[in-house]
Amino acid sequence: MTDVNRSIAFQAEKPASPPQADERLRDDTWWYGPVAMACFLVFWEVSVMFGSIPELFLPRPSVVVVTLYDLFATKGLVYDLGLTLYRIFGGFFLAAFVGIGLGLLMGMSKRIYAIADIFVAALYPVPKIALVPLLVIWLGTGNSFQIALSALGCIFPILVNTIIGVRQCDEGLILAARDLGANTVQIQRKVVLPAAIPAIFGGLRLALGISIILVVAAEMQTARYGLGAKLQAAGQVLETGQVFAILLLLAVLGILLTKGQDRLGGLVNRWRAN
Amino acid sequence: MQFEAISIEGLSHRFLSRTRPPTTALTDVTCRFPAGKVTSIVGPSGCGKSTLLLIMRGLVKASQGDVKFLYGNGAGALTPGDAPRMATVWQSFNLLPWRTVVDNVAFGMELQGVSKAERREKAMDAIKSVELSGFENHYPGQLSGGMKQRVGLARGMVMSPDILFLDEPFGALDAQTRLYLQEQLSSLVEKSAKTVILITHSIEEAIFLGDHVVVMTARPGKIAASLDVDLPRPRGIDVQNDKRFGELFSEIYGLLRDEVRKSMMN
Ligand SMILES: Nc1ncnc2c1ncn2[C@@H]1O[C@H](COP(=O)(O)OP(=O)(O)OP(=O)(O)O)[C@@H](O)[C@H]1O
Ligand SMILES: [Mg+2]
Repeated sequence: MTDVNRSIAFQAEKPASPPQADERLRDDTWWYGPVAMACFLVFWEVSVMFGSIPELFLPRPSVVVVTLYDLFATKGLVYDLGLTLYRIFGGFFLAAFVGIGLGLLMGMSKRIYAIADIFVAALYPVPKIALVPLLVIWLGTGNSFQIALSALGCIFPILVNTIIGVRQCDEGLILAARDLGANTVQIQRKVVLPAAIPAIFGGLRLALGISIILVVAAEMQTARYGLGAKLQAAGQVLETGQVFAILLLLAVLGILLTKGQDRLGGLVNRWRAN
Repeated sequence: MQFEAISIEGLSHRFLSRTRPPTTALTDVTCRFPAGKVTSIVGPSGCGKSTLLLIMRGLVKASQGDVKFLYGNGAGALTPGDAPRMATVWQSFNLLPWRTVVDNVAFGMELQGVSKAERREKAMDAIKSVELSGFENHYPGQLSGGMKQRVGLARGMVMSPDILFLDEPFGALDAQTRLYLQEQLSSLVEKSAKTVILITHSIEEAIFLGDHVVVMTARPGKIAASLDVDLPRPRGIDVQNDKRFGELFSEIYGLLRDEVRKSMMN
């Protein structure tokens, strides 16, 4: 009798079909966002056309796209775009490197935490844009200033999230790893770090947004080249079309970077397993 | 030198807390767990069984007293020595959620630097022995409680340790699977002469699998009694119909009932 029960119990658990993505699990809402955006643009285009709003005030989307093309074709906007991206990512990666490293150390060592925490608490709430005058005195208005500003803005969300991620690691997992013979380095590398990855990624996500904001804002104040600088210049001479074109470029950049991070998140999850 | 026993003398443990008064989990535990035997530990919930396991496993330092691993020289004298190889199956599974079943089971071998092909092969065998073939590439979050528990079992067993600590290893299983795995464990233990420390809430399981049963008091835990299970091996599940089984059951149940009553009152 027990034999019968046994085979029932186990057969019921065998996966019914070979591992294959189920039709019903496919994401069928992916086109909602793009369609909503297209509707919005059409509405904008049509209402400007028929509402006789002056172009100086609100240009049509089609005009904005043409202007953007012009900027790339004749005004060398690629250079500004490249420069801005360089500043954004320069600061971001610098902050990621230092922030994750320091965060891991602070999360894992009580002593390092005790020393570093007071500095973090003091610097975290300072509005980073308030550091512009000081940084300009120290670094001038070149790339190193932009990158330093961006890094300062990025480092805290990354650092704080990394510490939280490390601390949240389930004590039981560490015990299990020690039970299986893990040494300290193995525990950090194979348990604590992978456990902290989602939190670290949350920090990186926040940081990239902050980096874009800070770099563009700083470029508007001090730079000659870069998207922020071009935006400021266009605004001063009332080139509304150009203003919108650069805003459009920034928006597209935002979308691309966000989606890119999602992809990267998937890759990192695969890395976590080793 | 032959490993003979785990010896505990006058062991107490208190968990300190910054916000609450300390919790005394164990007081003055004195006990010996013989090598090559299965010792079952039963006791009311919260009496310190898991804590005792952590201390024996060397993962928590007791506030007082310590654990010795005794080795014999063949002439009857026992001397303490290094800890033998040990592995634990956890009450709360403790599987790494970002690793698949097979990578979880192979984790211990990976830490030791066993080659990928070899550890995968061994892990697959262990997964088969707990009837989880077909789920190698699932993540713990995609498994039921009982399936997670079996992954934990496979992960501990695959290390083929000298001492196996099992903390409530069948608690989350249905009756049939539990019976099946109990029988498997029973025959494994009889064949390999492993030292097994088994914590359980089931008196039947404690007797069926154990050579000894240690009954603990309500918190703070002490040893209330230690009984020998003088039932012949190999044991099939029908040993439960044995008259001696019934006597042992009543005896342990009587001891536990008093302790549970005490633990309810304070
Ligand atoms: N990490 C900890 N910090 C503080 N107190 C703890 C900790 N672990 C356990 N305790 C306390 O120690 C006591 C014994 O816990 P333990 O987990 O050893 O019980 P147990 O006998 O395994 O119970 P169960 O049968 O329910 O698993 C409990 O009162 C618990 O509150
Ligand atoms: Mg327990």
